[in-house]
Amino acid sequence: MLKTFITSFKLQNTYRVNSIIYSIKQLPVVKRILPNSLYKSRGLKIFANIISALWELTSVFIGKIIYIASMIFMALSLYNTNSSDTFIHLFVFLTLAGGVLNTYMLNPTKDKYYAIILMNINAREYGLSNYYYQLLKLIVGFLPFTIMFGMIANVPLWVQLILPFFILSVKLIVMNYCIYNFKKTNKASNENLPNKFVWSFIGICLLLGYGLPAIGITINSTIFLFICIISIILGIYSLIKIHSFKDYKKMYKKILTESNVYMQEKNTGTQAMKNVSLNQIELDKRYTSNKFGFAYFHELFVKRHRKILTTAVKKQSLVILALIVAMIIGINVNSEFKAKTNEVLLVYLPYFVFIMYIINRSSSVTQAMFMNCDHSMLTYRIYRTPKVILGIFKERLKTLIVINLLPAFLIGGGLALLLYLSGGTDNPLNYVILFVSIISMSIFFSVHYLVMYYLLQPYNVSTEIKSSTYKVVQGLTYLVSWYMIQIRMPIFSFGIATIIFCIAYSLISLFIAYKFAPKTFKLRI
Amino acid sequence: MKLVIKNLKKSFDKKQVLKDINFEFEKGKIYGLLGRNGAGKTTLFNCLNEDLEIDSGKFFIEEDGKQRKMEADDIGYVLSTPNVPEFLTGREFLKFFIDINKKRIKKEKTIDEYFDFMKIENEDRDRLLKDYSHGMKNKMQMLVNIIASPNVLLLDEPLTSFDVVVAEEMKQMLKEIKKDHIIIFSTHIMELALDLCDDIVILNKGLLEEIDKNNLDNEHLKNKIIDALKEEE
Ligand SMILES: Nc1ncnc2c1ncn2[C@@H]1O[C@H](COP(=O)(O)OP(=O)(O)OP(=O)(O)O)[C@@H](O)[C@H]1O
Ligand SMILES: [Mg+2]
Repeated sequence: MLKTFITSFKLQNTYRVNSIIYSIKQLPVVKRILPNSLYKSRGLKIFANIISALWELTSVFIGKIIYIASMIFMALSLYNTNSSDTFIHLFVFLTLAGGVLNTYMLNPTKDKYYAIILMNINAREYGLSNYYYQLLKLIVGFLPFTIMFGMIANVPLWVQLILPFFILSVKLIVMNYCIYNFKKTNKASNENLPNKFVWSFIGICLLLGYGLPAIGITINSTIFLFICIISIILGIYSLIKIHSFKDYKKMYKKILTESNVYMQEKNTGTQAMKNVSLNQIELDKRYTSNKFGFAYFHELFVKRHRKILTTAVKKQSLVILALIVAMIIGINVNSEFKAKTNEVLLVYLPYFVFIMYIINRSSSVTQAMFMNCDHSMLTYRIYRTPKVILGIFKERLKTLIVINLLPAFLIGGGLALLLYLSGGTDNPLNYVILFVSIISMSIFFSVHYLVMYYLLQPYNVSTEIKSSTYKVVQGLTYLVSWYMIQIRMPIFSFGIATIIFCIAYSLISLFIAYKFAPKTFKLRI
Repeated sequence: MKLVIKNLKKSFDKKQVLKDINFEFEKGKIYGLLGRNGAGKTTLFNCLNEDLEIDSGKFFIEEDGKQRKMEADDIGYVLSTPNVPEFLTGREFLKFFIDINKKRIKKEKTIDEYFDFMKIENEDRDRLLKDYSHGMKNKMQMLVNIIASPNVLLLDEPLTSFDVVVAEEMKQMLKEIKKDHIIIFSTHIMELALDLCDDIVILNKGLLEEIDKNNLDNEHLKNKIIDALKEEE
């Protein structure tokens, strides 16, 4: 088994090293500086290997610290309950939710696909050895932070030490259940497409996790001890079962289908990725268009992609609406919650940059635009004339903005309403600014993604992302939005700044797009 | 009208694919472009279609002794792999192309006439292109490129996926329209090249050269072409 593991580890490393070298090659500045011959050099290979090792090392810790800090630690300040108990409480429920969402072993990743399906490596050995490695990383990665954050939150030492093993046990139990289920029904599902049952379970966990402390109820360390002992006993039992299970190959065959694997890695798709995109097309004879030229073309695109365009947005809006209603009820029931809400609303506007970033659909829509439309159309020279490019650009801009506006309206209006209901503000202008700034954030993200798509057109003929500039811009967008989470600023100043920035950015970038898109918008071959 | 290529060069990283292309393609002729796998035929087409940036050299249209840039609507390019927007039906795709080419189409036909011309069955006309077969997609691609009637038609192994009947009719059609166009036709099928094309051009080791066809019978011509392609293995 160790041998299989080393082989698979090498395989993953080679794959990663190659991707790193490839990305370095693609960087706009480096491309010019480095001579071609350097690409083959040993130096670069060693350098990429070091980066790869560093990446493996940091990946052990980075996700965990972000997870504990943002999902648990930062939430503590929202509640008045005992911080140690709340910490344990959130940890337990989030672990339950996370347990069903990611088992490691059943996650259809590309390296599993390569190894098990394409290279026919022993599935049981591969699956188990990598699974144990993941579990080891889990313990090593969590322990420092359960201790660190646990100390700050005054959690007893034994809890700090045992929390990682609690997570481990939950993962093992879920995995064993999946295997049990597979033996019984011969079915194994893609865990990245959770079914309704799983979603409701996660929903309930989140509700209990974040909801109960709000009304003053939490688990305490005694209850936790009890839960912990049971899960660890079950965990050990599960481990024995998992280790003795034989049919991994059969199970992996069910999970590692092309569509599962490539859906996972959105950016590195090939034909299979395209097939996934194609499934988003619905032909319904009712959807026709009376327009002319590009307006006709674009309208049909929108209508045939309702699944990823309008339907997704409608679902989002429903969730937002439900949250707002829940908040309104909360405000009316609990006066402390009301005061807290008011306080939070007045300074948390920057947080909504991140939320608007998360809910904006433009990134996946531009991807569908490429996969299902531009990928083939760009080969027609007439499609690349400035008139057609800009004509379709305009139609797309309108659609993207309008589609993203619906949830933005709800959030903007909802926040203003909540601010009013929770005690209001001394400056009535704040309501307007709150609303307008949310709307302009939404427009900003729509414009941003579309302009980037037109200026950098990152995909190549085989629908892989070829532009590292595009990846860098995407990463920066994420980082900036994420950074906004930590900022607290009054509505007035932040709102005004945001509005001005969004308007200026949109105007300038549209101007640039109009000027350069006819040159930049083409296939990379 | 002529399409003139002068000192065109293109390499990928270190590999020089097109070393020094010099050629004049004339209106009224079908040129058969032959070359071995990886010789650079597709690359040459991609350069002319401005999908790829060329490293050096130039190409342009020469008309009545005057040179001008080759514009987007001068050129139609049918790829060897079918590229059609799969969310549209055949009919919608045609309509879109007719719409955006409205000004250039001289004698417009109805959409169904175009379909008849291409032998696409009635029942297929309103189906999504994603459900078309490989050959049907190629037909659509060919059709929209012909509708706009561009001056230069680049065809990259276009007939290979057509059934024999359609292939025969496409050949006839190309012969009919050739008097108004410059048609460059890449293929691996020697018979097709000899049968359809007025001139045979060979892309070998990054250079483009015409094979003198005159006063040779087919058998000799064939051998000559193969020799030229085999050269210095
Ligand atoms: N984007 C690219 N990057 C690097 N090399 C490329 C690229 N495109 C083509 N090549 C290389 O250029 C050479 C010519 O390829 P091209 O596709 O033009 O050949 P072809 O004559 O069309 O061959 P075939 O008859 O097989 O279609 C090949 O060696 C190929 O590997
Ligand atoms: Mg080719």
